[in-house]
Amino acid sequence: MTPNESISPVIAEFNGVSFRYKIGTDVLKDLHFSLAPGSFHFLTGESGAGKTSLLSLLYMDHLPTKGRVRLFGQTVDSLKRSEKAQIRRQIGVVFQDYRLLNHLNAFDNVALPLRIIGEKESDIRKHVTELLAWVGLEKQMRAYPEELSGGEQQRVAIARAVIHKPSLLLADEPTGNVDDAMAQRLLYLFLELNKLGTTIVVATHNEGLIQKFGFPRLHLHGGQVHLTIPRNSDISKLTKGEKNGQ
Amino acid sequence: MANKNAFLFADETTRFYFPWIFLLMVFIGTLLCGSGLFVYNCLNRWQQGVSESLTIQINTYDDNGVFRAEAVNEDIEKALSIIRTTPGVREANVLDENQMGELMAPWIGADVNLMDLPLPKLIDVAIDPKNPPFLEQLKMDLSIQVPNASLDSHRIWLTQLVKLSHRILQLIGIILILIIFTVVFTVSYTTRASLKIQEPIIRLVHMMGAKDFYITTKYAWRSLKRSLIGGFLGFCCAAPILVALIYCFEGMSDSIFTTGIYMEQWLFLAGYPLLMSFIAFITTFKSVLGYLKRFI
Ligand SMILES: Nc1ncnc2c1ncn2[C@@H]1O[C@H](COP(=O)(O)OP(=O)(O)OP(=O)(O)O)[C@@H](O)[C@H]1O
Ligand SMILES: [Mg+2]
Repeated sequence: MTPNESISPVIAEFNGVSFRYKIGTDVLKDLHFSLAPGSFHFLTGESGAGKTSLLSLLYMDHLPTKGRVRLFGQTVDSLKRSEKAQIRRQIGVVFQDYRLLNHLNAFDNVALPLRIIGEKESDIRKHVTELLAWVGLEKQMRAYPEELSGGEQQRVAIARAVIHKPSLLLADEPTGNVDDAMAQRLLYLFLELNKLGTTIVVATHNEGLIQKFGFPRLHLHGGQVHLTIPRNSDISKLTKGEKNGQ
Repeated sequence: MANKNAFLFADETTRFYFPWIFLLMVFIGTLLCGSGLFVYNCLNRWQQGVSESLTIQINTYDDNGVFRAEAVNEDIEKALSIIRTTPGVREANVLDENQMGELMAPWIGADVNLMDLPLPKLIDVAIDPKNPPFLEQLKMDLSIQVPNASLDSHRIWLTQLVKLSHRILQLIGIILILIIFTVVFTVSYTTRASLKIQEPIIRLVHMMGAKDFYITTKYAWRSLKRSLIGGFLGFCCAAPILVALIYCFEGMSDSIFTTGIYMEQWLFLAGYPLLMSFIAFITTFKSVLGYLKRFI
């Protein structure tokens, strides 16, 4: 399944990865899969199947208990701290629980990744304003997370994850709190990014979206991951990304 | 527009606490350090007075103004034998008339016959400054055996005072070191408390690719800023008290800056809050860096 590493650059690669938290049993067991540059995957599985855990390995919140995770061609546990930071800057994450900073307004929350990489304030103002308008929050730019509805908070979280045009976007249930129309709109945002080359993984329970967009699906069950590519959808219309399967 | 560093400022529990701690620490430290310098300066001046020799005076006239004649020579012999057997004494010699003349010339002129004056006999005693004789004992021995001899007594309490001052300086040094420990402890404790509260925020910015150095310096600068504010205020409170203290002891003689604490020493004192802030900076830096290691 794994292509020759030296000739096929992959964004992320799991090689015999098992993972468990300090307490409990293995959440993920011996996973082998890879994400090609520009690919778009849905990540599914029942609640507690390990979707969030898998994503956390991809953004290096945890290290695998066994096996090897490679990101952007480098093995994670061999990286220096500063190299990890450099890789993290290329990753955008929409957390299932948003993780907005309550003491910052929507604008400053979204601006955070840009400020960390030291972007110019004038550019930050321009990009953040544009993006917040795109997700329909131009009026709530100065609102604090507590003053926003669940769906609005979710959109701020999404805007924050994509503001720095990451190479890898990991979205954990990003449409759980919005109506179908907004869910589709947000997925089109991901699609736009994907067309620009961003590799995307969206964890979701929303079968409607999965059907509509028809991207390959990584399904977690019993700690194992199964890749399925829907036959009836014309993926090439939606994404130019390379698909890799078995 | 929020501050660029706004992500760090979620927790302001330490905001007021921190400067207050420094105000207090620098206040106490500056007062102690200043008093120490003052004592040190006084000590130096006194020590110039306590030379390597002392003088014993033997009266040549009794209380009624009668010349004691032969008795004087007896007293001199007795006194010399006592002094020469006292440990810490290098040598003891009676000043002859030429030496007396030199000694008195500034006051009475060079060509006055000393025999005409009711001058006492003087014994010059060279002492070992590293191991000076026990003057109290010497004084007592003399007063019993040679009642007409007198030892310059203010030297005695001066040596005592010098000893005491050394002790005081040592004590001040120890307290200053304790203050530094307190500052290090307080800063690392408050930093840790603050980090604990902000853990989700730090986890988030770490996850976004903020480098350790970036997060660490943000904290360290904040500590530096707050400690400088506190330290400055602490120094401003302590300085007038020090000046008043010196004034009480010295009066407004020449100037506070030439007798009590010299100008350079005031600058040194002003460096004290800076040193404290520097310690706060380094301590915060190390605490945060250590804390960040928990994140992969
Ligand atoms: N921090 C943790 N410590 C210990 N166990 C955890 C921790 N986080 C998750 N788990 C456990 O790991 C398993 C997988 O959790 P995970 O959050 O990855 O599931 P999920 O697929 O994202 O579920 P959901 O769809 O409900 O978000 C669960 O059984 C959960 O109880
Ligand atoms: Mg989850």
